[in-house]
Amino acid sequence: MPAEPSVLMSVPQSLSRSRTSASLDLLRRLFRTRFGGVGLIILVVISALSAFAPWFASSGPMDLGSPALQPPSWQHLLGTDSLGRDVRSVMLYAGRSSLTIGFCAAAMAFLIGGTIGALAGYFRGAVASVLLRVTDLFHTLPAIIIVLFSVSLMGSSFWLQVAAVALAIWPIEARIVYGQFITLSGREFVLAARAAGLSTFHIIFREILPNALPTVIVQVSLDASTAILIEAGLGFLGLSDPTVPSWGEMLNRGQEFLELAWWMSVFPGMAICIAVLGFNLFADGVTEMFNPRASAVAPKLDS
Amino acid sequence: MLRHIAGHMAQAVLLLLSVVVLIFCLLQLIPGDPIQAMVGDMPVPPALRASLEQRFQLNEPFLQRLYGYLVNVLHGDLGYSMNYRRPVFDILAERFPRTLLLAGVGYAFGILIGIAIGIQSAVTPHRSVDRAWSSLVLIGYAMPTFWVGQLLVIVFSIHLGWLPTQGMGPMVSRASGVDWLLERATYLVLPVATYTILETTRVARFMRASVLETLEQGYIVTARQKGLSRREIIIGHVVRNSILPVITVMGYSFGTAMGGAVLLETVFSYPGVGSLMVESVRARDTQVIVGVVILIACSVVVMNIVVDLLYAWLDPRIRVSSRQS
Repeated sequence: MPAEPSVLMSVPQSLSRSRTSASLDLLRRLFRTRFGGVGLIILVVISALSAFAPWFASSGPMDLGSPALQPPSWQHLLGTDSLGRDVRSVMLYAGRSSLTIGFCAAAMAFLIGGTIGALAGYFRGAVASVLLRVTDLFHTLPAIIIVLFSVSLMGSSFWLQVAAVALAIWPIEARIVYGQFITLSGREFVLAARAAGLSTFHIIFREILPNALPTVIVQVSLDASTAILIEAGLGFLGLSDPTVPSWGEMLNRGQEFLELAWWMSVFPGMAICIAVLGFNLFADGVTEMFNPRASAVAPKLDS
Repeated sequence: MLRHIAGHMAQAVLLLLSVVVLIFCLLQLIPGDPIQAMVGDMPVPPALRASLEQRFQLNEPFLQRLYGYLVNVLHGDLGYSMNYRRPVFDILAERFPRTLLLAGVGYAFGILIGIAIGIQSAVTPHRSVDRAWSSLVLIGYAMPTFWVGQLLVIVFSIHLGWLPTQGMGPMVSRASGVDWLLERATYLVLPVATYTILETTRVARFMRASVLETLEQGYIVTARQKGLSRREIIIGHVVRNSILPVITVMGYSFGTAMGGAVLLETVFSYPGVGSLMVESVRARDTQVIVGVVILIACSVVVMNIVVDLLYAWLDPRIRVSSRQS
């Protein structure tokens, strides 16, 4: 078959076109997995809902105009809280901080854990054993305990809270990246790069990391869901930043009114559940996409 | 085998020591007056300040203070709570068994049910059964611990009125003997159920993946060709080999269960170490917070040792290889 002339003549254009079609292809493959597409849709929808909260909310997050503790009705779809705020509106605005913590803490955990894991995996030997020991040390303590401890030491302003959550979840990230480096640095293309005399920086960032990407994306996505759950716990204990509404903080307010107003607790909890589910399903989908065996249907026992 | 155990023990002790050192170093980072931080939001009389300075060797060099601190911790001296006006060790000794009861029972139930669901989900010939279990487990996995507790309270305590909402027992009780035990047990039902639900989802997810992996192994094909029945294959070959990886995550998952105690005990106002931690964070009672952190680290490390032993006992390959070395 002769080569299409357009491909030969306009290389940049066809390159950019092939990149879009490649990402479209990735999307198509994600939607072909069991849950991946559902996860992505959930994430996009809740992100959009809270990013454009003013369009979907009937009142601001601090509007106290309505009567307090109204059950769900046509006027207030999810009821009103003890201060007379519309629960649906507060929930939309609260999503902003909960999702921000999820994304930012996961990104920060990736920066800390990824760096440590990559250093340990690339240099091995004494460096690795020291770094892995430190990782183990943090891994021994449950995440919520680390977060509570750091909040009690440093206070709970919004960004300190993000840092505390990242401090609690980076060890898993470090472990995963370390594992990837161990596996990948023995592969032919890395050996070839080394033999060609390419720099350490080039080998780490251009050869190994891109190949570790699917695994890393899965872990960052799971980290985001963990971060949202931890934030919810912190908010529920009344230890999050009191000036920022979040789903956890709404649950804290609801705990007092469990008997009078179940809707103050049930709906924000559902929001957390859906966000976490979105991240987990997305992670599941990506795993399945790159490693179909991991979720292959079980062979029949009695066939 | 002995060497295997001794090696793990030594590692565990080292890990614990480093946790204490890490906590000590973090405490040095608190901005402001360390004595004020220790006492909390209360004025410090000069006499107390002098005695605390001497006790914690605050005027000594860093390494000497660290050494003094380690010696104190090893002697079980975790300091004095300004909030409860009692030694930290005594408070922990009173509260830890309660947490252990709650988390332990929920954890045990969760593992058993989770293993059963994981196997059922992986080996069922009906894809719809697998899908149903998998979806339930996914949803359970996404729910915040304490929210599950709140939902159970709303349904079973408030709407149905079957069970008490919170606490460890009634304020005034006239019951005795078996009645007393039953009365106490009703208070445990909801918190234990919450624990069980969460642990179940965690274990079931893992167990399903592990069973699926086992099913692909050559020895399963061999067993099928030998003409063993489906039941014999599952019980004799699949379960035993699939449980091993699940057991390795049990140690870490125990840590998560202990972490969950912080939130669950707050939901149910259950007086264990979890609610103690929260009360102390609110009261800025640093000595107690540090005590709880060390205690939880200890329990996780001990659990990891137990898991290692269990693993060595279940997996003959480890027994044999450690005997040869």
